[in-house]
Amino acid sequence: MSAASLRTRPCHVACVMDGNGRWAQRRSLPRTSGHRAAETTVIDVIEAARTAGVKWLSLYAFSTENWQRPTTEVDFLMHLVRRVVRKHAPLLHARGIRCRFLGVTDPRIPAALARDFADLTTLTDANRGMTLTVAFDHGGRQDIVEAARSLIRSGVPADAVDERHFASHLPFPDTPDVDLVIRTSGEQRISNFMLWQVAYAEWMFPPVLWPDFRAPHFLECLRTYQQRDRRFGGVPPHVNGDPRP
Amino acid sequence: MTDPTTAGPESLFGPDSQFHRFFDDPRWALAMVRATVLEAAHPQIGAALIDSSTFVTHPWRRLRNTLVSLQRMFGADEATRQREAARLNRLHARLSGTDEQDRPYDAMDPQVRAWVVATLFESSVTMCRLSGQPLDRATMERLYAEFRAFLAAMGDRAGHLPPTLPEFWSYYDRMVAEELEGTEALRIILYRLFDHLPAPPLLGGLPTVWAAGRALAGPAIGTITVASLPEPFRRRAGLPEIPGAQTLMHSAYLAAGLARFLPDGWLRTDQLAGLLTLSPDSDDPRLATITALRARMKRAGALVRLVAPFPVQRSPEGAGGEPRRSAEEFFSEVLDQTGDGYLSWPDLAGMARELCTRLDLDEPAETRLYTAFADWWRELQTALDTDGDGRVSKDEYAVAVPSLAGPALIRVAEVLFDATDADGDQSIDAGEYRALFRTGFHRTVAGAEGRYSRSAFVQDFLAFMAGRRYSTAYDPLLTGA
Repeated sequence: MSAASLRTRPCHVACVMDGNGRWAQRRSLPRTSGHRAAETTVIDVIEAARTAGVKWLSLYAFSTENWQRPTTEVDFLMHLVRRVVRKHAPLLHARGIRCRFLGVTDPRIPAALARDFADLTTLTDANRGMTLTVAFDHGGRQDIVEAARSLIRSGVPADAVDERHFASHLPFPDTPDVDLVIRTSGEQRISNFMLWQVAYAEWMFPPVLWPDFRAPHFLECLRTYQQRDRRFGGVPPHVNGDPRP
Repeated sequence: MTDPTTAGPESLFGPDSQFHRFFDDPRWALAMVRATVLEAAHPQIGAALIDSSTFVTHPWRRLRNTLVSLQRMFGADEATRQREAARLNRLHARLSGTDEQDRPYDAMDPQVRAWVVATLFESSVTMCRLSGQPLDRATMERLYAEFRAFLAAMGDRAGHLPPTLPEFWSYYDRMVAEELEGTEALRIILYRLFDHLPAPPLLGGLPTVWAAGRALAGPAIGTITVASLPEPFRRRAGLPEIPGAQTLMHSAYLAAGLARFLPDGWLRTDQLAGLLTLSPDSDDPRLATITALRARMKRAGALVRLVAPFPVQRSPEGAGGEPRRSAEEFFSEVLDQTGDGYLSWPDLAGMARELCTRLDLDEPAETRLYTAFADWWRELQTALDTDGDGRVSKDEYAVAVPSLAGPALIRVAEVLFDATDADGDQSIDAGEYRALFRTGFHRTVAGAEGRYSRSAFVQDFLAFMAGRRYSTAYDPLLTGA
């Protein structure tokens, strides 16, 4: 990727789905109803991304830190996710979307849910329309630690390790770097999300809460992205006061 | 016409025999099931099956071994036949005992063996009759002569099967009317085996698809088989008359008979059986061609589970590839080969039998292996049978499990190594390895550069047997259905 990617459509878009709780609070509803309302947004965004030609979409559904939430909320989320996965599995498959789940290592995840994740992965494994990665029980640092472990186990000499080599030990090494991260609800944090892959990502923080986020918001983000000037840390065309050797 | 006492055995066996024309006939699957049921109805055979057979837990393995054996017995090569007959005789000689009513049974009893051959012959004839293409007299005579020669090749005097066909039918009718019983083995085959038939190893990863298909096919096979049994026996054994069963049975035989119009080579019983018993981990070249189909079936299975309102909850098997199983799992999956919930000599003998069959062992290697397993059984019994009932229950095993790599088990590993190491060069090469595990080295032996040393072999065997580790080599061998 270089200047050629300027003003092109992002290849890999990631969404940090933030604001479900606040959405519910503003309506004096229990937090859980915010999560329930998020389902519509998820499906809407998947559909918008697919039609806009985004090849990779990642959704941050549940972080390793989310286990600290109240047990009832966690239980509700597990149940909801299972229902959503089962409800939309045939549709996702019919749309040619390849689904996979990043994380999902904690034994607290109900076996039935893990089974459904595995089944959806198997079912859609051969699809090539768009790859939807759902980060569930995901932690960016954890992934890097795992990659380091795998690297050490493979017995490579320290000098032989470069970025490319390291990345090949991350989960789903075929995933390209994230081009654009959308974090809804105006919060401006990374929250341990796909740390390695977001290194050069553009970030956008639309103030709208995730349950209110819809396809037009998503397309607006894509448009803004295409107007941005991505430099990947290279030398920009005009830099003031840059010391020359 | 064809008198087996004068005709040489060469003319009765081989690719031109009537038997070979039936072997690849799909109706033969139904006939074999029927023959097995009639065998199990014989009190002595029924008792032997209940005591020693692993067919309820490992039916596919048993099917494959039976087909290979029949092929050797009816093949053109006389030396192969004699060797196979000797092997079968040794195998049968190890099967004797007493049934629940203390009546003795003995798999070497010539009467018993004659009955097995009689059921095979009669079921072949009946399969033709039921599918509307009865055999003409000459063909039937020829087939009977072949089966009599088969019995003779086992070394039994042919006299136990009557010399002529008319005499055979009166023998058969008398057996059905007087000797057969509604044995427990018969009920297990009819009502338990088909309803709980485990998936063949090849389809092991698709439990939902398998269960769905079996729920339909299982009772149907049972009903078809019952309907095809002789009426007097059905009445005596108290087997149910189900309305429409006769029609279903006739249709099944007819439909299977139609498959003879398929092009040659589409249906090869032995290849089909070989394919089904192939472990998904195997590196057999045929596997590559069906991997695509398998992937599609896997996806179908996943979809079925996802859209099913109340999904079948499988036990959290190994919880994501945990390399070690619990004592209870190991007991049920590996040790209890007969599936009766207890560990006793027939379980270990079943393992020894399977290993001998895989390696195609001759004497004295076969006896050495059996002796090693017998010693291991004594070791287990001494250590584990705390209530002294002569067998080891799952609980007894689970309690004592840590102390289990005794000298007798190590001896089993060494004897197995010697038996596998056919050329005696103190290492197992790829060919020898394939004979035992039906797969090449590639992933299963870490760091083996084309050979597998005695110490590594013994270590892996103990890790599986005493350490209860999952093993891509031993699991298909001893836990595969």
